[in-house]
Amino acid sequence: MQRMFMRRTGLALLLMLAATALTFALVSAAPGNVAALIAERAAGAGADGEMIAKIANDLGLNDPLPVRYLRWLGDAVQGDFGVSLRTGKPMSEEFAARIPKTLALLAGGGVLALALSLVMGLAGAVSNGGIVDKLLHGLALVGASTPNFFVAAMLVIVFSVMLGWVPTFGVSGFTSWLLPWITIALFPGSVLARVVRVNLQEAMSRPFATTGFAKGLTRRAVLLREALPNILIPYMTTFGAQFTLMMIGAIVVERVFGLNGIGAFFIEAIRFRDFIGMQAVLMLFVVFFVSVNLIVDIAAMLADPRLRRPRKA
Amino acid sequence: MNAPVYAVENLVIDLYTPSVSVRAVDGASFHVSPGETLAIVGESGSGKTVMTLGPLGLMPEGVAVDLRGTARADGRDILTLSPSELSALRGGFFGVIFQDPMSALNPMLKIGPQLASQAQKYAGLSAEAARKEAVSLLARSGIPDPEDRYDRYPHELSGGMLQRAMIALALAARPRVLIADEPTTALDATVQAQILALIRTIQKEDGIAVVLITHDIGAVSVLADRVIVLYAGQIAEEGTAIQVLTAPVHPYTRGLLASVPDFRSESATGTKEIPGIPPNQAQLMPGCRFADRCDMVQATCHSHRPRLQTVGLGDVPHRVACPVVIAAEGIVTHD
Repeated sequence: MQRMFMRRTGLALLLMLAATALTFALVSAAPGNVAALIAERAAGAGADGEMIAKIANDLGLNDPLPVRYLRWLGDAVQGDFGVSLRTGKPMSEEFAARIPKTLALLAGGGVLALALSLVMGLAGAVSNGGIVDKLLHGLALVGASTPNFFVAAMLVIVFSVMLGWVPTFGVSGFTSWLLPWITIALFPGSVLARVVRVNLQEAMSRPFATTGFAKGLTRRAVLLREALPNILIPYMTTFGAQFTLMMIGAIVVERVFGLNGIGAFFIEAIRFRDFIGMQAVLMLFVVFFVSVNLIVDIAAMLADPRLRRPRKA
Repeated sequence: MNAPVYAVENLVIDLYTPSVSVRAVDGASFHVSPGETLAIVGESGSGKTVMTLGPLGLMPEGVAVDLRGTARADGRDILTLSPSELSALRGGFFGVIFQDPMSALNPMLKIGPQLASQAQKYAGLSAEAARKEAVSLLARSGIPDPEDRYDRYPHELSGGMLQRAMIALALAARPRVLIADEPTTALDATVQAQILALIRTIQKEDGIAVVLITHDIGAVSVLADRVIVLYAGQIAEEGTAIQVLTAPVHPYTRGLLASVPDFRSESATGTKEIPGIPPNQAQLMPGCRFADRCDMVQATCHSHRPRLQTVGLGDVPHRVACPVVIAAEGIVTHD
């Protein structure tokens, strides 16, 4: 078990290295010249070739790619992610200001998706083919096939513009988070609700469910006590995947709701060809994706008694 | 013989899936008394499991079940009970042991606490007493080191141990009728005998009525007081184990017994298989359902459904649904 943890963690670190190297290479290969951009910033339109060449030389941009990557990596592990070409501030400062907002968005959305999916999935399974089940199935399909920018627009029109219950834009207290949370939770919540429903149904057809009935449990008790623990592992795995996908959703949602998080910064960085900012955010994404998957993997192992306590031969 | 604790009369069970409907049980009656073991014998698909688990509402989800007849347990007809009443009866009155303990026990739940919760709910014990009861049930079911096994998950026990745990689980609610659905089929041959012996011991000690569903003639001879031979949802023959096993009358029973390998016989040719396959119960036939495979078949067999006739007198009547053999062998009937 412990060896498994070590192996997974080691693998995750390797994966982070490989993924950051790949994004580094891709960003380097993207059109645009960092030295030229910096020169333009410093001297306006009057930046000449000599100045650009000097900047490139000073920054070591003429070194081979692996050398540049290792230099970048060395700085990054010490918390130095460079200075944003767009805002002129160190990326560590940008991160400190923006990560909490994105995390609040993802955490709130994650909790909402969790609650939504469990309530919908369980209610559907209790109804078992009844009207509630069919209704929830339809709702989940709609939720999983509506793009988040559309959801965001509809929510803003109804709850901010028409009803005036919550602010349309920016961060101003708890209520300003409600619409972003709902928007970002709708897709994963709907997908996970189907995962709960389908896996519960599968579990209810397994022999141990019949044993549950034979023990004298009502159908609802069999669902909650016998079937529900058995969907934990597929549920956790899908939740991890959906949670990482929420980061992609956050890029759109932060833009629409004016939350100055990492996602909004990333869009701006691309628009302004802020290579340093892009590289730093991409690295953050890689770390986020790999860590969430690692945590889910380990949590799933801990949740399954067959993996947690393997039978001794 | 004691008064029956569970008595089923004229049970008809139709099963419906989206594509087919099947008459799985067609007018079967049976009863079982405290301390007695009734074996229900038949090949796969004969309806023996449906006949016993159907009235208890233990059919898989997704199969619509239509039950007719009566099934009296504890003075009530369980076919008329509401789902919640039936749930309560399933836990306290009936205990069920299933075929494959590896899949019948929940892989995510520890064994002991399940037993304790049953003892708490149905035997009215306190949490502490229920835990003690659970440990003693594990011990009684022949599980070594029961204190340790209490906190084990199913995957940490062998198949034989799991079936013992399954038996303990069924007993935790102190049932009056124990239904064992092919309890040894999934187990190693050496373990099978141990499990049968365990069921027998517990039954004698507690005076529980046992319904044993099996296709294992060996298990029948070890455990059963009475036997019902089921073919395609209908009772072909019934009587005491001795009557049915030593003096079978129905051609199907004879075929079934002849197909059991006899290790004392000198050649392997001692076994005979029954030719053909069981009928498709989705297409009901008016006559004897065994007619197509029977070597004594006559024209009337296809048109007239044979009724059970009593061929032997005694405390337990020996009854056979085959007028052809009765007439051919001049067997005296007592109806």
